[in-house]
Amino acid sequence: MFDTIIIGAGPAGLSAAKILQESQKVLVLDEYFHAGGRLLGQLYEEEKGRWWNGLEIARRLIMETEGKSEIRLSTSVYNVELDDIYTVYTTAGVFKSRSLIIATGAREKSTPLPGWDLPGVMTVGAAQVLTNFSRVKPGNKGVIIGINPLSMVIAMELGYTDIEVAKICLPPKNKINDQTPKDAFETLVSLGNSAPSKFISFGTRVAGRVKPLHPAALKLFPKGGVKAMGLPISIKEKIIRINGTEKVESVTMQKTDSKGRPVGRKREIQCDFVCISDGLAPLSEIGSLLDLRHVYSEPLGGYVPLHSEMMETELPDLYVAGNVTGIENAKVAMYQGQLAAHRILGDEEAAICTLASINNERKNAKVKFHKDLIHGRETVEAMWKDLGKENV
Amino acid sequence: MTERILNHKILGAIRHEFVPFKWNGETIYGVEGESLTAALLANGIRTLRTHEKDGKPRGLYCNIGHCSECRVTIGGEKNQRACLTPVKEGMSVKQQTELPHLVKGDDSHV
Repeated sequence: MFDTIIIGAGPAGLSAAKILQESQKVLVLDEYFHAGGRLLGQLYEEEKGRWWNGLEIARRLIMETEGKSEIRLSTSVYNVELDDIYTVYTTAGVFKSRSLIIATGAREKSTPLPGWDLPGVMTVGAAQVLTNFSRVKPGNKGVIIGINPLSMVIAMELGYTDIEVAKICLPPKNKINDQTPKDAFETLVSLGNSAPSKFISFGTRVAGRVKPLHPAALKLFPKGGVKAMGLPISIKEKIIRINGTEKVESVTMQKTDSKGRPVGRKREIQCDFVCISDGLAPLSEIGSLLDLRHVYSEPLGGYVPLHSEMMETELPDLYVAGNVTGIENAKVAMYQGQLAAHRILGDEEAAICTLASINNERKNAKVKFHKDLIHGRETVEAMWKDLGKENV
Repeated sequence: MTERILNHKILGAIRHEFVPFKWNGETIYGVEGESLTAALLANGIRTLRTHEKDGKPRGLYCNIGHCSECRVTIGGEKNQRACLTPVKEGMSVKQQTELPHLVKGDDSHV
């Protein structure tokens, strides 16, 4: 019997464990064979000369929790039940606890396209883990399909190892994907505004002539794309097919106008790997097992379990933390884990202080995963408060 | 052919201790404790299984245990996710292949 079980040994889960372990018996579960979650691949320059090295941060968190919390890796959770206490069914046995924290993180979304099942096609996250954690090249020359903060950051990371990125462009339009060159352009400009150092400075380069969101700015965007920080970004080109027999050999590219309509002939680009990136979505199956009410929020990345800004859920002693509550950076996830821990311990003062840190980080984050993130958070919080009124 | 990143511009240099393990009966080398997907890729192996129904090649996709595209047979145990399995010296890993057709049958793949 544990005081608290934490599902997920990433930034949120380990940060919660670090606080709880001082006075509680804590169990942390994770499916991966190494603790740290998605911190393990993260590497970007926050300010000139100041790097966010996720692997280092993970190592520190592991050192601080090892031996004090029980950490079980290579362990998958397949069911959770509540009956006075929480019962967690895992591939390593059944565990019970009074409190439970769901810190399962996120999954990567993918827009399918012809040829996406060929060996050599992978998510950008897969390429990130290979490159920065396993230190094995995903290939020598790649194409990235999908323009979003995650794909841009990872494209840069590939560059630190001399892996050639031949193109970053849009996926084909279909029922799932309807991102237009205009959407992609807005994404790039929004990244430019919160640029970690040199990030997407081209946004301002175009804006030097016209305002960034002026319709003319999109028209001025060169057809063949631009080189920004060594990245060949193209919002007026779409990859419509991935080609190869046994593995990826090339992609077929179609130029488009600023509305995304095909213009001119198709062209093939030789490459040996392709990354598909369609953003991240909260991984909330555990919440579903417990029949938690979920809320769909586009700015937060998809369905999130209904929760308060204090990380509480509808069920007693059940908390959520990290990307399962909405897609944000690892710093926010760490604070959310701390906040859940303070709430479990009933330390109101520390909880309020941590909440202030979250709001501060959210406002000043260098990379914003969605432009309406704060609005999305406010909507969920308002729904939570309404729920409170219902119950009164 | 892919290769290992021994010198990283930001993360610095790294040194490996290699251990032998078996891929479809053939001895290859990986770093103890790294994921099987990484070790196989570093050996130039991209096709981890052929699809159960149509026999088409499949490789790693998400590399963090969500998609199950990298299922392999490890020490006789089927459907193990290669991306979640660390390399151990002497382990035996096999590619999974097309399944026999229920009606037509086909014992060449069994």
